[in-house]
Order: sequence, then structure tokens, then C-alpha cells
Amino acid sequence: MLRLLIFAVALGLFVDRFFIDSTAAADGEAAVGQPASRFFAEHCRKCHSGPEPQGDFVSDSLALDFTGQPMRKRWEGVLDQIRVGRMPPEGEPRPAPAEAAAMVKWIEDQIGGAEAARRSTVGRSPLRRLNQIEYQNTVRDLFQVDVDLTGMLPADSNGGGFDTDAESLHLSSYLLESYLNAANIVLDEAIASGPRPPLVEKRIEIKDDPGTKRHGVYRHLDDGVAIFASDLASNIQLVFWNFLTRHRGKYQFRISASAYQSDKPVIFHINGGTDNLGDPPYLIDYFEAPPGKPTVFEFTRSMEAGRNIRLLVDAPVRPRDLPSLGGAEKYEGPGLAVQWIEMKGPLIESWPPPSHRLIFGDLPLEPSADNPSRREVVSKEPRADAERILRGFARRAFRRPVSDEELRPTLARVGSKLDDGYSFERAVRVGLREILLSPSFLFLRESGAKEESKPAVNTSAVPRPLLLDDHALASRLSYFLWSSMPDEELFRLAEEGRLGQPDVLRGEVERMLKDPKAAEFTENFAGQWLGLREIDSTLPDRQLYPEYDDLLRQAMIPEVNQFFEEVLRNDLSVTHFVISDFGIINQRLAKHYGIPDVEGLEFRRVAFPPDSHRGGLLTMAAVLKVTANGTTTSPITRGAWVLGRILGTPPPRPPANISAVEPDIRGATTIRDQLAKHRKEPTCASCHLLMDPPGFALENFDVVGGWRERYRSIGDGEPVTVDGRRMRYKHGPAVESADRLFDGRAFGNIDEFKALLASDPDQLSRALASKLVAYATGTPTTLADRQGIESIVGSVREKNYGFRSLVHEVVQSELFRNQ
Amino acid sequence: MPLRRRKFLCSAGVSLALPWFDAARPARAQGASTPAPPRRLVCICAPLGFYPGSFIPEEKGTGYKPSPYLELLGPHRQDLTVISGLAGISGGHQAIDGFLTGVPGAGQPGIRNGVSVDQFAAEQIGQQTRFQSLALSGEGLGLSWTRTGARIPAHQSPSRLFAEMFLDGKEDEVQSQLRGLAEGRSILDDVRDQAKTLQGELGTADRETLDEYMTSVRELERRLVVAEKWVRTPKPKVEAEPPKDITNRADLIGRTRLLFDLAHLAIQTDSTRLITIMLAGATSAPPIPGVSLGHHDLSHHGKDPGKLAQLKLVEEECIKVLGELLGKLSQSREGDQRLLDRTMVYLGSNLGDASSHSTMNLPILMAGGGFRHGQHLAFDPQNPPSLCNLYVSMLQRLGIEVDRFSTGTSTLNGLDFA
Repeated sequence: MLRLLIFAVALGLFVDRFFIDSTAAADGEAAVGQPASRFFAEHCRKCHSGPEPQGDFVSDSLALDFTGQPMRKRWEGVLDQIRVGRMPPEGEPRPAPAEAAAMVKWIEDQIGGAEAARRSTVGRSPLRRLNQIEYQNTVRDLFQVDVDLTGMLPADSNGGGFDTDAESLHLSSYLLESYLNAANIVLDEAIASGPRPPLVEKRIEIKDDPGTKRHGVYRHLDDGVAIFASDLASNIQLVFWNFLTRHRGKYQFRISASAYQSDKPVIFHINGGTDNLGDPPYLIDYFEAPPGKPTVFEFTRSMEAGRNIRLLVDAPVRPRDLPSLGGAEKYEGPGLAVQWIEMKGPLIESWPPPSHRLIFGDLPLEPSADNPSRREVVSKEPRADAERILRGFARRAFRRPVSDEELRPTLARVGSKLDDGYSFERAVRVGLREILLSPSFLFLRESGAKEESKPAVNTSAVPRPLLLDDHALASRLSYFLWSSMPDEELFRLAEEGRLGQPDVLRGEVERMLKDPKAAEFTENFAGQWLGLREIDSTLPDRQLYPEYDDLLRQAMIPEVNQFFEEVLRNDLSVTHFVISDFGIINQRLAKHYGIPDVEGLEFRRVAFPPDSHRGGLLTMAAVLKVTANGTTTSPITRGAWVLGRILGTPPPRPPANISAVEPDIRGATTIRDQLAKHRKEPTCASCHLLMDPPGFALENFDVVGGWRERYRSIGDGEPVTVDGRRMRYKHGPAVESADRLFDGRAFGNIDEFKALLASDPDQLSRALASKLVAYATGTPTTLADRQGIESIVGSVREKNYGFRSLVHEVVQSELFRNQ
Repeated sequence: MPLRRRKFLCSAGVSLALPWFDAARPARAQGASTPAPPRRLVCICAPLGFYPGSFIPEEKGTGYKPSPYLELLGPHRQDLTVISGLAGISGGHQAIDGFLTGVPGAGQPGIRNGVSVDQFAAEQIGQQTRFQSLALSGEGLGLSWTRTGARIPAHQSPSRLFAEMFLDGKEDEVQSQLRGLAEGRSILDDVRDQAKTLQGELGTADRETLDEYMTSVRELERRLVVAEKWVRTPKPKVEAEPPKDITNRADLIGRTRLLFDLAHLAIQTDSTRLITIMLAGATSAPPIPGVSLGHHDLSHHGKDPGKLAQLKLVEEECIKVLGELLGKLSQSREGDQRLLDRTMVYLGSNLGDASSHSTMNLPILMAGGGFRHGQHLAFDPQNPPSLCNLYVSMLQRLGIEVDRFSTGTSTLNGLDFA
């Protein structure tokens, strides 16, 4: 209470008053500003005032207001500057470390206090809209239809944070319009308006496929065709035109193939695409065909209407080199022998489909009045049936019990449509669409439990936020781990009021993590925590990195995801994320990493040899790729990545008026030399001494995550030969990765650096807990959450820092369970 | 007697379309003089900027020697102003979110973006055309932002947009469209009431979010009402062939050309007066002879002369397509003026140097639209005025009475009305 009062007094007063009129402060009019005012007067005001303030920052414009976002952001900026010692700059009188630390603490306390006060009244996070992925998954679970809406809904702008961030998830009339249209598409898909699509079964004997008569890469055999090379860019592939899907649905494919002229398996892949070869294809999967008797490869995929598949062999030879090697008839290298291929689909278990029955139950279908080729659901008691259907649907859509009051307008609307002569189905569709447009569906409403959980007389100085009610908790949990709506079990526990019990909650987390839907947690949390969604935003330079291929690209994300899941599944220590003696890799990655004896495309747990430099997230190809561009690596970018993502201490944003240091690939100078100059500039040094060292630790890894001891150069350098082939790049200067962390600890290479990181599991857990809370609650953690985070860290410390334990502790924490 | 729009357009033909002259509106028709023909704005962003050395001329003023890229726009020299020295908001690639809004920190987590200059203008002058504004994109996201801080999804399919602009639906399609619009409106009506009820139960921060919802509902309702009117209005006819979409994402020049052609048609037929276009910056190599790498990767050239040469090829093609657009706009006439004289074409970027992600010293061209051109306006990169001053100039040139926009507090010095 006292604290609130002080804020009320301080609100709107400007720091400047205390600077200019220090007697006022001495009078004790508002002593709260005093430490700040003295500090600012002594260390900031000289440069940051007057008509031409340095860095466009006027210290006097800082108000003692920590509640408003814009002002708080400015204070946080000041905090950063002082914390890293960038300000006051070298050459000016600098505060004693204790004085600076006191100032830092003072600002932190003000911000933390203001935030805690705000939370107690409005909750942690504002009403949060479902993001694109959550909307899509929710609709899938709500209707039991698998419909792809990604092209329909505009992408969310999350500014580089998590896409669950409530503050970034805005709404516009355009988005509402997309929802209006998406609802139509989903309903069309969910409701059976026609006869059951017929099952189509086809088989192609590859020898008969006219495609195998062209391109000079195919050799006809007794029972099939051997394919020696494919090339997507020049359309040397087998396109199965006859397999064009007529209806959307699940299709089963079977392919009979074997390795040819090879004692090792031969790899091939299947792409999907439209009947227009100009449309970009998409990968369905990679396969490996063992030598010997033909193997039948069977897979089932959801396909849109109008799609076909193509087969490409991943052989070591390019089609254009084949003629010089004897041509398809005489070539002695490995190929893929394919005998036949079959397609069957769409596979439909029942008609009308479950999605239809989920809405309409067993109400009969009849030819529609205005269009006899269409069938519509009919009802003898349209009003009663409509009400029953919409009531049940609204409960699931709103993820909580729905009052009569809330449903009344929708029922009235459906009634009036029936009066207007709408058919039963069309009227119900209007009601369903209305529910899908409702704020109660589109927003996650984080309502608090009833007042009784709060003590009648609040004795603490800061009022405490309310616990979420059970339904809101069910939603928070299910969007956290599944990126989708709660299932019936969660509904039931919420309705029984038992979900909030710690052991029940723990049991649910276990159940949910074992559900296949938990893949969403990996995909969305790990994917964004590590920035993996950017994996394709650059393409490695072909001259510099000829070894980069699609097989490697396709292995990168699964490596991270499967490792993440392995650590989660076995409750391994979070230190595994920085240092680990095993990884989950396949043959392609093993080759990339120089790990022997890993054959085959499937991923498996592999113990890394001690000198492999691998193990942990930092040295995974995907991470190393997303932290580089296609040509060069920058220790600054990678350093900032490690600080922000792994250690949870992001460096301050770069000042507005500087240009970045660019690596130079002409082979004459290294980034180390360039940055050394930078680090001598006092204004640059403060941040670069912080950021660059973790980046240098990763400098032995190139843009695709390969190990290097020399930079690759396109200018100066020594020629390079790989597998007897002269490369187009040269070996440039040697890489130096040794450096010294900001706190003075030195490391000689990546292995020593990893050990340094792993020596502070508290900090790793703290950082990860903070990311998990931000992701789950839709609001980044702030100084106000320090205590909450510390108590989570304290709990996992006793559990050997296990990651699964950490997830449990986050869910059990007040940060998660409060509004 | 009111002129029938369709007939009028047919007889006027595509080269003489004067659709702004709306005789169906008595207030205007009875005015003392014919209303001035409308002014338009096309904002184009090259997300990877241009190699500064090839773009920005060394001399300032009217006597500047054209840089290699400006050389390509030689015929339009008197129709354009080169502007250098201005800075964008910081934030590298992410700063693109603030390109037309000027909101510092836009694109960073936790920063709410503001309204973009085209949408600000659309609030004033958008109701007069079938499309209040058009957001187009060669690849990915667009440039326009609503007042609620949400990005407007950009049109990416020229063929679909062409159909929306120029191809009339069959009668039953129109009927079902109208029915859909009416249904949409009644749904919005109900959910707005639900939101109101909800609002009473929520805290302040939640209420802000809900306000955003209500604003969006209201705006969409308004747009559906306007849409109903336009569904009933026959669309203008053009002689141009409907475009075929280019599905090859790497073909950034081809895709840009389609968008520019469409922009020209949209302006010529007065389908809209405000257009934003995000150019593509593909990651795979564009089909330009001599180019083997993607545009984004070329922009990180590491000073490799081979890459710089390729980058130049890509950027030259891009400037040439812009030249084509300027050429078309100057050949089309509107009354006694060239369409270009009434259409501002603003080409800029959020990056001054993509190689280092610098957001300073942006490459900017302002062509046509009724400014006094033929000069290089060089500002001091160390101390430039706000980029948004340029936007104040643009808004005023559109006839909107404002003296500030976002961080802009006056018009841009040296850019005067013709």
C-alpha cells in the first residue's frame, strides 16, 4: 500500500526537478528520486541535456513513472547502459562500481515494483488472441478436420519473440475478414455436402511409364527400371501424372524398389506438387532402398485435391555427367531399381465423416432444395436441434461453460434466419460461424478464480494477483504443451474443479507430454527459442559450400527437435543443451560432423567421440546455420544469440547510429582483426567485450555448421581438393576461437567454452525458465518475475536441473498459475 | 443526366479513363468548377536496398552527375528527385515494419506499430474508390499497417487481384457474394454485442484488446457496406490481358513487373489511389543471365567483387522495371496532364546498406506526383531530418491537411510542390 502511495506521488514528477532543484529533494518532498537524481546530475546531465543532447537522449525527459510502457522502456535502456558500463563513457568521471550497482538495483526495484502492482490489478498478460498456429490446431481439434489454413490467415508479426506474445498479437478488420472466410472453408470441409468420394486405386509398372524413356538416366531391366541420376532444376525426375488426386484426403502410396549396382542402400525422395511443373514442389519424404530383393515402401499422407507425386534419386552423379561415364546403359555406379508404384485413396473410414457427426450427430441428409446435387442436413425440430448443437459447440469453442445469456444473440440470429426461410443447415452454419468469430473463441480469456482464494484482509504491501480458474488453467496448459484447445479429459478435470490440485496438474503434464500433440511444444517452443524458423532465410553460397544439399538441410531441424525431446523425455539436466556426450543424428549429419559408423537415414542416439567438438545445441548444424548468413559468420550475431537465447542475458540493442562490422571473404583479413579494432574503441568495447567472445567460441563452425580450421576464401589462399575434386574456394586465414569472457574466464576453444557455460546450471535454468514462462503466458518475464523464477530454479536445483522437472516446476509456479 | 459509368469508361477507352469525374454525385457535378483530378501515391520498398555506391550520386542539387543506377532512369531525370542522407528506424531487416509507419522500434518484440502513411491517407480519401488502398507484395509480407498495429495482408496473386478489379462475376456469383456480405454483417453485429458484454467484465489492459476487436469489427462492417455498393457497380474494363501469376519465387524481376503493371492499371482506372508494394528479396537465384546466387545472399557480399557484380545485375534490373512503370505513367494521360504528374511514385528501403544491415543513408527516389523535380536532395547522414517529413510532404501533396505524421514534424525541406 505504502509503495503504491509513493508511486502515486512520484507519478508525473520528472527526474529533472530533482536535478535542477536539489533543495526540493533535500526537503524530502519525494525522497524516492534522490539516489537517481544525484546519479543523473553527476554522471548524465552534462552531455544529455541542452539543445543538442548526445545520442538524442535528454536525461531530464525521464519521468519517475515506471508504469507506462514507453517510459519504462526508456528506463530499461538507461539500465542497460549503466549495467554494462557503456555509460558514462571512458574519459568522463565514472561512478564507483558500488554506486553504479546501487543505481542499477534502484531502477530494477522501481520497475519490478510497478509491474507487480500492475499485475495485481490487471493480471500478467492482456487478453491474448490465438495465433495462426493455435487457430489452425484449435479448429482441427474442434471439428476433427485436417484443413490447411496457413495460406488464408495472415502471418503474425511477433517481432522476433514468441508468437504467443499477447502484446504483438493484434487484430485488424483484415484478419477478421480472414476468420470469416476461414470459418466457411472449415465448415465446408467438416460438413458432408455430397456423396462419399470414391476410392481410387492405381498401379503403375515403372517399365511402362513413358517418363522412363527420356533423359538418358534410365536403364530398363527385366522387372523394372534403374535410375542413376535425377535433377529437379532441369526436370529430370519421374512425375506420376496418372496419380492426380481428385479429392482432398489421406492417400496411401506403395513403392517397390531396391539398390542397384550397389552393396549399400541407395537414397531417393518423393516430392509432391501440382499438375503445373512451375509450382514449387514440396518434400514428402526421403527413403533408402537396401540392396537385394525389392523392398516395398509404404506411406500415407494427407493430400490436397489436384496433387501428384514425383520420384528423384539422390545419387552421387549428376545427369549431365552420366554420358561421360558410359551413359545409362554402361554406367557401373549405383542406382535405384524401381519395379512398381501404387496409390490408393482418399481413405475414408466412415461417411459422413466424424467431423460431420460431431456437429450434427445422426440428423438425416437430404438433397438440398435449391441445388439437388448438394445434400443438406435436415431437422424436424430445427429450433431445438439448432440450440442443442450450438450450445454444445460453444462450450468447446469457448473452452468453458457458456451461459444462456451469452448464447442468446446467436440463437436469436439463427431463429431469425430460419424465419427468413434459410434451410436448417444454412441457419446452423451462420450460428457456428458466429461462434468462430466471437471474442470468446478468438481470445484466450484468463479469468481469475473467485475471490474466496484471496485472504479477506490483505496484509502484504503489494496486492497479489488471482489464481486462474480451472478452465483458464486448462487452456493455458493445453496451449502451452499442445498449441491447441483442451481435450475432454482437461475439460472434465476443470469442470470437477480438480485441475488446480498439484498432483493432478502434474499427472496432466505427464499425460500431455506423452501425447503426440506434444510435438507442437517442440516445434513451436524450441523452434522459436532457438530461432529455427529462420532456417531457410538464407541459402549457403554454392561456391563456398558445395557440400550443402537438401538431405543435410532436411536433417538439421529433426536433429534439434529429437535431441530436445530426448532431454525432455528422460529429464536430463538442462546442461545437456550446452554440453552433451551424445546426439541424435543420421548418416548425413554424421558425415557432416565427421562421426564414423553411422549408416542410414533414420535418426538414432549416437555417442560422440571426445574430439568431435559436437554435443549440445550450440554445435548443431541448424543453430549454426540460423546464426549465419549464406556466406559468412559473424561472432557478433552468434555471440548475441548465445547471450540472449542460452544465457538469458541479451546484450543491449546496438546504438542507432552505427554500422555493423562486416566479415570480408577476400581472404586478406579476418573478422578477428576487424573486431579487434572495434574492441579498442571505448564506446564499442563495453558491449563487444560481452558479445564477441561467445561468438568467437563458435568461429570454428562455418555457415552450414561444418568444422573449419581455416576460413574459406574466394580470393587469396591455398587451393583445396576434396575427394579428388578441386574446389572453387581456397583456404584463407586460420580461425582463432580462443577468447576471454566478460567476467575474465578464458577459454581456448569451443569445448572449453561449453564447459564454462555448463558450470553455471543455475543460470541456464533461469534463462530457460524465463523463456518457458514467456512462451506459456504470452508475456515476457520482467524484473517483477525475478522471485518467481528464482523459486523455480531453486526447485530444479534439487532435481539435478532436469528439463522435464523444469517444465513441471514452471507449470506449478505462481507465474504460470496466476492470472 | 447522370452518366452511366460503364458506358463512359468504354467510350473513353483505357487511355482516356477519367473515372474520378463522378457525375453521379450531384454535389460535385453542380460545383462551380470541375473538381481537380485526384492525386495518388505509390510506395515501393526494396527490402534489401541498393548498393549505395551505385545508387547515390556524388553531387547534390540540380547539376548532379547521375550514378550508374540513375543513368538507367535517364529519360525521367526531370521527373524525379533523388534523396539521400535520411535514416530509417533502427533494427535491420525487422525495421521494414516501420518503413511506412516511422514508429521507432517497430518490428522489435513488445513495440506496437502505428498506422502506415498510406492507411492514414486511406482514412481520408479511401472511400472514393473501389479499393480504399491496395497492399501488394512480390514475396511475403506487405508494408501497410492499420491503426490497431496489425499488418494488412498483402495481395500476392496478380491474377486474382486483376479479376477482383476488372472481371465482373456472373449474376449468381454476385448474388451469393451479396448474400455472403449480408451474412457477414449480421454476424459482426452479434459478435460486437458479445464483445460489449465481455468488456464490462474485464480489466483495463483486456479492454484495450477488446477495443481493438471492436474497432476491427466496425471497420469490417463499414468495408462490407462499401463492398456491397461496389459489388453492384460494374467494374471498369481494360484492354490489358489478365496477368498470369509467376510461381517461381526466385523470379523477383518478373514478379515485380506484374505488380507494377497492375499498379498502373489500378491507378489508370481509378480503382484505388493508394498503393504499397513490397518488392521480393528472394533467397534463391533469380533467372537473370550472369546471376547464380540469391538476392539476399548477394546483399551479404563480403566485398567479394564477383558477388558485387551479380548484385549490380539484380539491382539494375530492378531499377529498369521501375523505369518501365514511370514510362507507362508518363504515357498515360489524365485530362491535359500525364498520369505521372498526379501520381507520386516513392521508392525507398528500410536499409541503407544491406550488407551491414545499416538503416542510415537510405536510397530514396521520389518521382512524379507534382513536385519540383530534377535534383539530388542530399541531407547530412549524420544529422538528417526525419524520414517521416517526406511522408508529411506526400500527405500534403495528396491534399490532406496535416503538418505532422509519426516522427515527422514538417514537410521535407527542399521538396516543393511544382
